[in-house]
Amino acid sequence: MTNEQVFADATKAVGEAIIELEHVDKFFGSFQALKDINLKVGLQEVVVVIGPSGSGKSTMIRCINRLEEHDNGRIVVDGIELSEDVRNIQEIRRETGMVFQQFNLFPHLSVIDNVTLAPRQVRRMPKDEAERLAMEILERVQIPEQARKYPGQLSGGQQQRVAIARSLAMKPKVMLFDEPTSALDPEMINEVLDAMKDLAREGMTMIVVTHEMGFAREVADRVVFMADGQIVEVGPPEHFFTNPQEDRTKLFLSQIL
Amino acid sequence: MTSPPTTLGTGTRAARWARKHLFRTWLDSALTIVFGGLALYLIFRFVLFVFVNARWEIIQVNLKLLMVGRWPSDQLMVMAVSVAVLGLWVGLIAGLVHRRQMRAGQSRLTAMTGGQRVVDLVRRFGLIIGTVLLLLALTNTNGPWLMAATTVVASVVGRVIGGAAGTRVLPRWVARTGVLLLALVPFAIYVYLSRTLALADWEGFFFNITSAIAGIILCFPLGVLLALARRSKLRLLQSLSILYIEFVRGSPLFVLLLMANVSLEFFVPASIAPSKVIRAIVVFTIFTGAYLAEIVRGGLQSVPRGQEEAAKSLGLSPTKQMGLIVLPQALRNVIPAQIGQFISLFKDTTLAGLALGILDLLEGAKAITQQPDFRGQGLIIETLVFVGFLFWVGSFTMSRESQRLERKLGVGTR
Repeated sequence: MTNEQVFADATKAVGEAIIELEHVDKFFGSFQALKDINLKVGLQEVVVVIGPSGSGKSTMIRCINRLEEHDNGRIVVDGIELSEDVRNIQEIRRETGMVFQQFNLFPHLSVIDNVTLAPRQVRRMPKDEAERLAMEILERVQIPEQARKYPGQLSGGQQQRVAIARSLAMKPKVMLFDEPTSALDPEMINEVLDAMKDLAREGMTMIVVTHEMGFAREVADRVVFMADGQIVEVGPPEHFFTNPQEDRTKLFLSQIL
Repeated sequence: MTSPPTTLGTGTRAARWARKHLFRTWLDSALTIVFGGLALYLIFRFVLFVFVNARWEIIQVNLKLLMVGRWPSDQLMVMAVSVAVLGLWVGLIAGLVHRRQMRAGQSRLTAMTGGQRVVDLVRRFGLIIGTVLLLLALTNTNGPWLMAATTVVASVVGRVIGGAAGTRVLPRWVARTGVLLLALVPFAIYVYLSRTLALADWEGFFFNITSAIAGIILCFPLGVLLALARRSKLRLLQSLSILYIEFVRGSPLFVLLLMANVSLEFFVPASIAPSKVIRAIVVFTIFTGAYLAEIVRGGLQSVPRGQEEAAKSLGLSPTKQMGLIVLPQALRNVIPAQIGQFISLFKDTTLAGLALGILDLLEGAKAITQQPDFRGQGLIIETLVFVGFLFWVGSFTMSRESQRLERKLGVGTR
């Protein structure tokens, strides 16, 4: 079997699978947002999800950490199956970091408190240890000097990097990005993408919903194209962008490129 | 320096300002003259009344009765000691909290020099200080002066000690014991005071203030719990909360107070029935709790969903999502409405006087006009103005402090 064939199959991951979605359906009332989604993501793999708005990209990754409940199918993260069991949900959320379009930093807490909150409250880390860890991570996203400020005093790009740092402080095995640059002014997009590229280089497993095609080409191991709640096409970026197979994909790419 | 170009002609600054703000058009001019004249006339009548015609000796003679009711005169020392300790306590807490906030970088207010601090304090509490001085001027004994002086000294000492303790990192057990001791101070003061007169016999403005404080402290957790229950997914809890809130908000406070006075005796034997003061505090708590619940619910709705989602995605438990992320933001978003409700409660304590027959400030003010020396002289106006003034001083200061709190927490700026 060639590499290409492996990549083109959404149910096969590169290496050992850490996230598995099997036959996942999701309804909002009578509207079906996800239709029979099958996807495996391997350890250290970067999967970029693209597609028109309303195609279910965000819903899919929000199901992975139970911000949305899926109605049918299985979702397994790092060997833990998502179920009604609150403890499973909590455990999966501790393993998965999430970065939102609107940053969702806690405005009443300083940057350092935003970052140390979860390690201290969830992992019961002592304060000084949590702050050391937070400063290390803030160095990595290159804003250690903003640690004592409040989110409202930072630019959008800085806020999003704090949000990334906040997720990383929990030492997650997987990072989910839900359109992390869509709410940013154009000149701030690159600083956030750079932080994400660093993460990918360090071997973080990532699922990224984005419209940044340059990022997808450069960083993605696989690109997933979704439309109308379904996965239409999956492939390695060089293949996906130059030689798409499905008409729906060709149409979408012709509209955005 | 050239003055900015203006279409309003020349003249002194004052003249230009007046032309722009008071006499811009013919209608403006007419309104200015009519309402300006009316305002001047009312101010004139008021000043005439307060400084010339009013006979304040009725207040002067009955000042003790109005302030603390029939508190035994030979036990006023107990009151003085309590107030001084309370001053020390408030000072300690203010100092501690201020230092901690400064250290954590939470305060949005800039640091002040000594002189600025005095000016700031006068601006914040000048009204209360002035009123206290006025009341002191009305007394003819040294006791109250001594009490005021001791209290001021105690608060300053407390503030300095609190500030000093706040700059140090204390061992955890010292800090915990300290906080516990501080929390016990009000109870200790209460026990000390009630050795002279139990809560049931507290009267005068003293009753209004203490019952308002008790009501505020008790209704706050009740209101928050009701708001959370109303948002709960458990339908029973939700229904109970809605039932409670809508029932209490639908009945006049005065009716609830009258019911507490009358109907309780049908169910509970008089020997074990709680005293009138306790009943009043319970009714205030129940009533304000219902209003507060709706205010807090509004606050909860004002926090964007993304906040809860972010807290969830970090793996925080539902209790911590609410307690650390959503509720703190919700409560600070509704500070003005909360303080407004507390101010309402403070003023509504006068209703308890009439409904339950407690000799509070207002009932006292009405009663003294019937004394042999003053009967039939129409002095009710003087006493009502005095009562209104005291409540205004309290309410206005609370309102100002709430605005300051908002600035300090940076509400709206982050």
